[in-house]
Amino acid sequence: MLKNLLTTIALAGALVTAQPSFAASPPNMLVIGTNLTGIRTLDPAQNNARTVSELISNLYDNLVQLSPDDLKTLKPMLATKWTVSEDGRLITLTLRDDAVFQSGNAVTAEDAAWSIQRVIKMGQVGSTDVALWGFTSENVDKLVRAKDEQTLEIELPHAVNTDLVLYSLAGSSIGIIDKKTALSHEANGDLAGAWLSANSAGSGPFTLAQWRPNDVAIFNAQKNYWAGPPAMARVVARHIPESGNLRLQLEAGDVDVGQYLASGDLDALANNKEMVIDSVPGLGFYYIALNQKDPDLQKPKVREAFQHAFDWKAISGNIMRYTGFPWHSMIPRGMIGAPQDATSRHDYDPAKAKQLLAEAGYPNGLKKVLNPSGAATLPFAEALQASARAAGLDLNLVPGEFTPAFRERKYEILLGNSGARLPDPFAVATQYAYNPDNSDEARLGSYYLWRAGMKVDELNTLVDQSMKEPDAGKRTEIFQKMDGIYSGMNAPLVIFFQRTDPYVIRANVKGYHGHTTWSTRWHGVTKE
Amino acid sequence: MASADLTSKRDAERNLDEDGLVHAPSHPLAMALRRLAGRVLAVITTLLGLLFLTFSMGRLLPADPVLAITGAEVSKEVYDRVYNELGLGRPIWAQFLDYVQKVATGDLGTSATTGQPILTDLLTIFPATIELAVIAMIVGALVGVPLGITAAVRRGTIIDHIARIIALAGHSIPIFWTGLMALFVFYAKLKLVGASGRVDVFYEGLVTPVTGFLLIDSAIERQWDVFRSALGHIILPGTILGYYSVAYISRMSRSFMLEQLGQEYITTARAKGLGLRKVVWRHAFRNIRVQLLTIMALTFGGLLEGAVLIETVFGWPGLGQYLTRGLQMNDMNVVMGAVLTIGAVFLTINILSDVLYRILDPRTR
Repeated sequence: MLKNLLTTIALAGALVTAQPSFAASPPNMLVIGTNLTGIRTLDPAQNNARTVSELISNLYDNLVQLSPDDLKTLKPMLATKWTVSEDGRLITLTLRDDAVFQSGNAVTAEDAAWSIQRVIKMGQVGSTDVALWGFTSENVDKLVRAKDEQTLEIELPHAVNTDLVLYSLAGSSIGIIDKKTALSHEANGDLAGAWLSANSAGSGPFTLAQWRPNDVAIFNAQKNYWAGPPAMARVVARHIPESGNLRLQLEAGDVDVGQYLASGDLDALANNKEMVIDSVPGLGFYYIALNQKDPDLQKPKVREAFQHAFDWKAISGNIMRYTGFPWHSMIPRGMIGAPQDATSRHDYDPAKAKQLLAEAGYPNGLKKVLNPSGAATLPFAEALQASARAAGLDLNLVPGEFTPAFRERKYEILLGNSGARLPDPFAVATQYAYNPDNSDEARLGSYYLWRAGMKVDELNTLVDQSMKEPDAGKRTEIFQKMDGIYSGMNAPLVIFFQRTDPYVIRANVKGYHGHTTWSTRWHGVTKE
Repeated sequence: MASADLTSKRDAERNLDEDGLVHAPSHPLAMALRRLAGRVLAVITTLLGLLFLTFSMGRLLPADPVLAITGAEVSKEVYDRVYNELGLGRPIWAQFLDYVQKVATGDLGTSATTGQPILTDLLTIFPATIELAVIAMIVGALVGVPLGITAAVRRGTIIDHIARIIALAGHSIPIFWTGLMALFVFYAKLKLVGASGRVDVFYEGLVTPVTGFLLIDSAIERQWDVFRSALGHIILPGTILGYYSVAYISRMSRSFMLEQLGQEYITTARAKGLGLRKVVWRHAFRNIRVQLLTIMALTFGGLLEGAVLIETVFGWPGLGQYLTRGLQMNDMNVVMGAVLTIGAVFLTINILSDVLYRILDPRTR
């Protein structure tokens, strides 16, 4: 019996080791180890998360684009040039004439107009950025139109800074779709939403070869791409949720790019000369939300106490080393109107926090429930709990998924992180400083300030102004003013860190640059 | 003679109705049909109970199925539209009835996280889990049964102790840790096996799914490179998962065998001069194989369920990961569908093992 068993094992072993190699990824193939959880569709209009933005950005071209190293200068893509009318209400874009979809159909202004109309009509998350400018399913057909084969006109329903509009056109949700191909797969008036969730009809440098949700996405190079064929004949995005496993595969050379690694593995890989860690700044923050529906937390001194109750310096070097850097302003670093330095507004001072609590009427401290928004913020919440204890704040940490409770304003204190895709402080300001109606019935869950239960009319006015103001200098002043008001009012959203997204890239891979708006493109990627 | 009398007495008692009247014994076919009907009814009742449990779980857990579809940053308009599309505003009993009706027609709803019908997802991923569980089962049986039997035969010796330590280790070391350590040694250092997924990336998509079992499909198409790659990927998670079943299988095998070895017929056989090997494998083993079959069946069900962690460590696209992700993402249709599948598999295994039990052991008929 034992002999038989050993023979079987030996045979299996021989079969496996007869494999030529479990070798590194081939020189013309890029392998990305990532987390594909939650990607329910590859349709640009239904795009709702970070990883899928990257996948879509390589299947579909945009009219314009922003380089990862310069988020202010718009660059041509399908549109070679664009003009804005004197009154700032009409944007005219001229499209290149050599771009073709993977079907072989030429890219026309009609396709571009239809793609924008479709995003608005579908009303999914992808429409959020462009719907801000006043487009509705009723007016979009009239306002976004093809003048001729190569000319697209976008008329604005009301005055908006046209740079903002153009920035939104660079977002991955506004990938230009082959109208003819898509509509041939339309079912029950869904504008091809079901078909495009697992198929592609773009003019991007890659086409979708295979898509298995939560498992693998395979992309093949589009050889007749207008900007020349990409060096990578194939790109594979593979679901590798376990960070330790991903690290081993990066080290072995089976995976070229790693995303969503845990801080311990990032630490280990940082010391490996074969790896480069690219910490890409994101347009969002790690914050504490203090629910203003709670009478204790309504008191400004209590809110101020929270600014001094967290020993953020202690964790900035470890658990936040790759996922965020200290930042205490509501304007992200590097954006217009951002302060030069905003890392000393919330110094950890438990004695001061204690004194503020006493002045607010809590000489014996305060007891509250702290919820992390999800598992990712749990270590951060534990650190907050520990350091707040010294300040007299007894935080009962209840872990779980609390984003829904946050949206319903059913929490006391929540620790969360945010992100935005429009590379302008306006996008962040709409989250952190805008709340036109603080009533429960308004249910404005997309505005964080509503979730925190505070309405500041002056901030609302400034956010509106920042959307409409065409002059860059004046906008800078508006954002500076906004920041001043926000930091002086003991805001219920206390910002500690600006988000960063770490990408681990093998040193032999060149041209892979993580993008702040998550539209990382693979066209320029090569391997040495 | 006495035994025949007793039998006829028992039969007579069985056929007495409430009035004490004796009826003719039923036809064997009718009895079999009645038994089958009873079994089908039990299955339907159990499935309904399971449906109720999974539905309650899906609706009562503090998770928002709308946000699972739309993402957290959605506007009120989109939120409300999806909320109404999902019928979440309707009374809970109406939602449950709807759910039962749909499940009866094979409609388990749509996954919020993959955008696919749950049934389509399950048909894609379930073969991967079964494939893994089969390999694990083979490992578990090949190691566990001989280990348990040897331990019983050599009771109290060093072999018995070693067997106990092996079983104990399999029971107590976290599978997550074992998985990562095995990857470190066999993948990273020795480069003997693949790390993540069912096959190397460059072999992805080369084989057309026929059965869904990659080892079988690649063999059918004679794609031996893909077959080897697939084998290289399954061997590690399969072995580790199998090792964790060794503990239970060996313990039960040992116990069954010990029971047999204490029987008189064993003593008689040994007294007649029959060798130990023959006594153990020809006589005692024959008498425990039916019990072992039941153990294997239950273990197999447990393996399907217990593959959750190993699937996560090895990036294995199976039911375990599917369920975990569903829970993480508040995708309640996925959770309900996966739990229902696991429950249905357990039921099926129970029925199958029962049937096999009856076939192999005439005393149970």
